[in-house]
Amino acid sequence: MEGFLPWYWCLFWYILALPVVAYGVIQIKKTIEKHPESKPLLAVSGAFIFVISSLKLPSVTGSCSHATGGGLGAVLFGPAAVSVLAAIVLVFQALLLAHGGITTLGANIFSMGIIGPFVAWLVWKGARKIGWSVSIAIFLAAVIGDWLTYITTAIQLALAFPIPTFPEAVVKFIAIFAYTQVPLAIAEGILTVVIFEYIMKLRPDILRSLKVIGPEEPKKPTAKTPEVA
Amino acid sequence: MFENTLDNYAHYNNLRNVNVYFKVLFAILTMIMCLISTSPVIPLIIACFMSFLIIFEAKIPWKFYLKFLLIVPFSFGLITFVYMAIFFGVGSPVLELGIFNLAVTSDGFNLGLLVFTRMLGGFTCLAFLALTTPMNEFFTVLEHIKIPKIVIELSMLMYRYIFVFLDEARNMYHSQETRLGYSSIKKSIKSMGMLGSNLFIRTWLKGEHAYIAMESRCYDGSIRTMKKPDNIKNMGYFNITLLLLFEISLVIGLYLTGNFTIF
Repeated sequence: MEGFLPWYWCLFWYILALPVVAYGVIQIKKTIEKHPESKPLLAVSGAFIFVISSLKLPSVTGSCSHATGGGLGAVLFGPAAVSVLAAIVLVFQALLLAHGGITTLGANIFSMGIIGPFVAWLVWKGARKIGWSVSIAIFLAAVIGDWLTYITTAIQLALAFPIPTFPEAVVKFIAIFAYTQVPLAIAEGILTVVIFEYIMKLRPDILRSLKVIGPEEPKKPTAKTPEVA
Repeated sequence: MFENTLDNYAHYNNLRNVNVYFKVLFAILTMIMCLISTSPVIPLIIACFMSFLIIFEAKIPWKFYLKFLLIVPFSFGLITFVYMAIFFGVGSPVLELGIFNLAVTSDGFNLGLLVFTRMLGGFTCLAFLALTTPMNEFFTVLEHIKIPKIVIELSMLMYRYIFVFLDEARNMYHSQETRLGYSSIKKSIKSMGMLGSNLFIRTWLKGEHAYIAMESRCYDGSIRTMKKPDNIKNMGYFNITLLLLFEISLVIGLYLTGNFTIF
């Protein structure tokens, strides 16, 4: 939220987030040089993340929350590209919906665009390597990515307001988030699994071309997927 | 869900034709003033001034402004304020609550009030920017400060597709809702999953089609747009002086009220 962090922490998170986003931009540039067709695809993916983030999740506690969409994006497009897309999405959210803010943009990019997606991607890769099923891996990736996002936010807040001491403040902020985020992250995980399974059922070729799943999954290939160059 | 975004207000308001650099500089500089303030006085003044500009100068309907914009940050800020006043103090208590041994401490109260007003001030600056500056003019500013071209192009394409997808998502959501798709938690998760996955697949098709359409129109890896309409130079000396005077008076105000506290 705008104005929440003192100015030096705003600056600090900007400085921390910028190199990662810059690295993502370089990566995207490279990809586009090799495959020019990926530019519109990246753009529509960004729009997809924006729309998914504006979905309100029904949750057990009765409250609603905005899904971050970062976990799914990271699994689909890789964490480097998502960091750039998330940065743009956050700017749009500030200017189109007045969510988040300009001064806290650095901190938000760091927690939602870098830590969350990166952890989700690691969990996804790790779980797939052990040989767990796609559904379990994507569930864990979404849930753990979401939790880590909020733990990062709690640490950011605690660094800004270390009262009475930093560790105690971390515990306080995590306690606030835990009430809503533990059930919400699980709901988001289930939602991500449902989304992913539908995509796998309807258009596995997309996932294959993104190299998210191997060529052999799922076992029965769906008939007649239109070949688009 | 999927309510109207602020976009149409950004295109139809009374400050639409004011130089975009003027608006952006004004909003960002004032936001920074808000941020470096150490007392709640200046942010509160900024919040009132910005709200005044939004309602009376930009002529945004005040009902819309209060209902959709101010309620969320205000309630969020209030919760933070109360929480900080009770749990973030180490000094002497000024008000015993009588339950659970909780008490409001003076430093907690001051910190909470400061954060609350800073949030309100910062938020009104953001709302001013969002409500008066259309996105495409904002892109020219981004171009001016040398944001990589690829990022701007991606954002332009995203800007276009966000509205296409919001529309599709809204349609799908309403048709699911009329068929009782959201009557229980289990059903909502299922419906929402269908919505999300369908959206992704459509997204993908749209992206492929967009590329084909662009390529057939000689797309060579860059999107060229019309020349920038505004320039930082034709902001007008009067406006620049006004802006500087305003910010300088804010700085003086910051200096004078720096040690102001209620308790």
